[in-house]
Amino acid sequence: MGLVESGKTPKSLQTLLNMSRKYSLWVYQWGLACCALEMGAAFASPRYDVMRLGVIPLPASPRQADMVVVSGTVTDKMAPAIRRLYEQMPDPKYVISMGSCANCGGPYWDSYSVTKGVDQIIPVDVYVPGCPPRPEALLEGIVMLQERIQNEDMQERWVGEPIVVGS
Amino acid sequence: MSDETAVDTVDEADVVAETDEVREATLASLTDEVGDGIVESHIRPNDDIWVRVSRDAWVDTGMALKSMGFGYFSFLSAIDWMPSPFGRDMDSQVDLTLNPPEDEDDDVVMETGVAGGDTRFQVFARVNDIVNNRAITLKADLPDDDLSIATWIPVYSGANWHEREAAEMFGIDFVGHPNLRNLYLPGAFEGNPMRKDFALLSRRIKPWPGIVDVEPMPGEDEEGEDA
Amino acid sequence: MTTQIPDLSEQEQLRYISQQAADARVNVEIETEGMTLNLGPQHPATHGTLRIIAKLDGEQVVAAEPVMGYMHRGYEKLAEVRTYPQVTTLVNRIDWVGSFANETPFILAAEKLMEVEAPPRAQYIRTILHEMSRIANVILGIGDMGVQVGAVTPIFFAFRDREYVLNQIEAVTGGRFHPNFDRIGGLKDDLPAGWIQNTKNAMEKVRDFCDQIEELMYGNEIFQARTRGIGIIPKDVGLAYGLSGVNIRGSGVDWDVRRDNMSPGLVYDQVDWKVWTHPDGDSYSRMWVRLQEVREGTKIVDQLLDQIPSGPIMAKVPRIIKVPAGEAYVETENPLGVMGYYVVSKGDLNPYRVKIRSASFNNVSITPWLLKGVYVPDIITILGSLYFILGDIDR
Repeated sequence: MGLVESGKTPKSLQTLLNMSRKYSLWVYQWGLACCALEMGAAFASPRYDVMRLGVIPLPASPRQADMVVVSGTVTDKMAPAIRRLYEQMPDPKYVISMGSCANCGGPYWDSYSVTKGVDQIIPVDVYVPGCPPRPEALLEGIVMLQERIQNEDMQERWVGEPIVVGS
Repeated sequence: MSDETAVDTVDEADVVAETDEVREATLASLTDEVGDGIVESHIRPNDDIWVRVSRDAWVDTGMALKSMGFGYFSFLSAIDWMPSPFGRDMDSQVDLTLNPPEDEDDDVVMETGVAGGDTRFQVFARVNDIVNNRAITLKADLPDDDLSIATWIPVYSGANWHEREAAEMFGIDFVGHPNLRNLYLPGAFEGNPMRKDFALLSRRIKPWPGIVDVEPMPGEDEEGEDA
Repeated sequence: MTTQIPDLSEQEQLRYISQQAADARVNVEIETEGMTLNLGPQHPATHGTLRIIAKLDGEQVVAAEPVMGYMHRGYEKLAEVRTYPQVTTLVNRIDWVGSFANETPFILAAEKLMEVEAPPRAQYIRTILHEMSRIANVILGIGDMGVQVGAVTPIFFAFRDREYVLNQIEAVTGGRFHPNFDRIGGLKDDLPAGWIQNTKNAMEKVRDFCDQIEELMYGNEIFQARTRGIGIIPKDVGLAYGLSGVNIRGSGVDWDVRRDNMSPGLVYDQVDWKVWTHPDGDSYSRMWVRLQEVREGTKIVDQLLDQIPSGPIMAKVPRIIKVPAGEAYVETENPLGVMGYYVVSKGDLNPYRVKIRSASFNNVSITPWLLKGVYVPDIITILGSLYFILGDIDR
């Protein structure tokens, strides 16, 4: 796909590519703390059922994932591992930061061992606030990310502010 | 062990009229076993019992308690009785870094808790007797110049991780512990976080909104801001 | 890597290893070179971020060393710099699957120091919510155990039926996960209208889940083969390591803080229920006791709902809470085991020191001993049957 890399894809082809990308998001679940359960409820429970959105929640490894949901408290001890797995993911890749802890440290803003936000180590595309956010909030974040992917220009992929759900 | 043991005099000025035969008897039989090792004790009737032992008697007391039926290990930890020098953004009332004491020799007054204490650091542990539903809290003072105490692993195997935790959080050395590495913190972490003089840097930079309201409520005027 | 086995348990350990070795004579004869297997910190079988470094000889674990701290958030330090009502917000997140149960012992300890007692209605609602958080927690543990042995259906069932309980908790507290509902001297709010009947319906659903899962999972041949006789914890070893809750009752120790050492402020003595134990001490017995606990929990909730008295839900406490100087330790039987708070107060707005005795920390501290000599796939089932929450270990 030299065409894609050079950024000269025709508009129609780009729309098609974007649509197929947005409906086949393989999500690597980085469940860390409380939010992991709400993520689990969104991904594994029949009530919220994320697969209807074209999101596939169980890739075998980060190397096959398009998106990672960092849900929960990132500690200083964990941070290198997160960075490492993020780097293992192939481009294009998206990061959803779920919950107050991953966004900014949350209730542990003054702790000696907590990283104050996962955006200090990896770039974040969607912030889902809440402690923990309801599964619906995560789903909304995914839907908003899908909208962005649909309108994405291959060349200008890294331009733009991150999405904040509910703002 | 509950047969008529001589009612031991409780050192603490315990003027409560209630008596607690079970705990008194426990204390009495522990005194028989450990003897001079017991420095001080306190009984809150029908609730709890605290015994402070000397550092040298720490392991012996554990052995004695285990033989008395206290076979269940609940927890082991430590406490720092020196109030924090960082004032209200930590938990003490006076910020010694901003208002240093005029007289350098003027030590901060340490108030120690139940069953007393003489030194800054104290190790405490709790063991249960799950058959008779008794529990006892043990304490031991650590001298300021030698923060070490013998390990409890030979007595209660569960003390292993608890001692590792206390070691990294307070900087206490557990003599005889086979593997006193950091349990929680990354290896490069400096300091002992649970010591009272360990400052939480975020709090030093930003005042804690929970103690003083720094922001007006929505809809209010800006007046209350410097409250 | 140095791993240590306590002296007292050496014999059982050796006996167990030799039994296992007899099964796998091949390993012994070939003398394969050892390898080190790293599980985690991000691994589906570790309920979060536990990392286990296992030294293997063939398929057998020679030494296993858990590495923790990936979820260490410094609760004990943070509790020292927060006021008493703020601490409940914090401790909610220790065992994040059964959050309300985390608040209970702390509030009870503060009440003990302040010498206030919640009104009876508040005590009942507290006990109900405590049990409901147990149900919400343990259901998930059971479902998760299914995943550990290779069955995915139970976790779907668990998430489905857990929602009914969470809905009820949300209806009364406003939070699915972190209610922050307990107050010193009572509760934040009263029950909403129609809650009692809805909760009874939810409990009915939970009992259905228990019946379903018992046939689906516990009766399954594979499940039994993977759990029976695996991961045996003898009684005295469990006690010396301070195991609690289901993990020790699964070893035949008949000890339940709810019954034996109920702290004032809860009303377990008002209901008719049973403490289940299982003599075997293996993975299966732990999971079996867990299932019975859920059933007992629904019974307790049903009975309490019937007897709930009317009256105020808040005792008279000052608006700004200053807890008198003193020390108190209160423990309750939480979903994962015995959880206690040792609160040292100096009469300030903040606690001077809070030692959090969390259940999983003690429960998991047995793993270096327990995993010695087992096969690699059994690591997963043993960890699953111990059922811990990382927040409860690392705090």
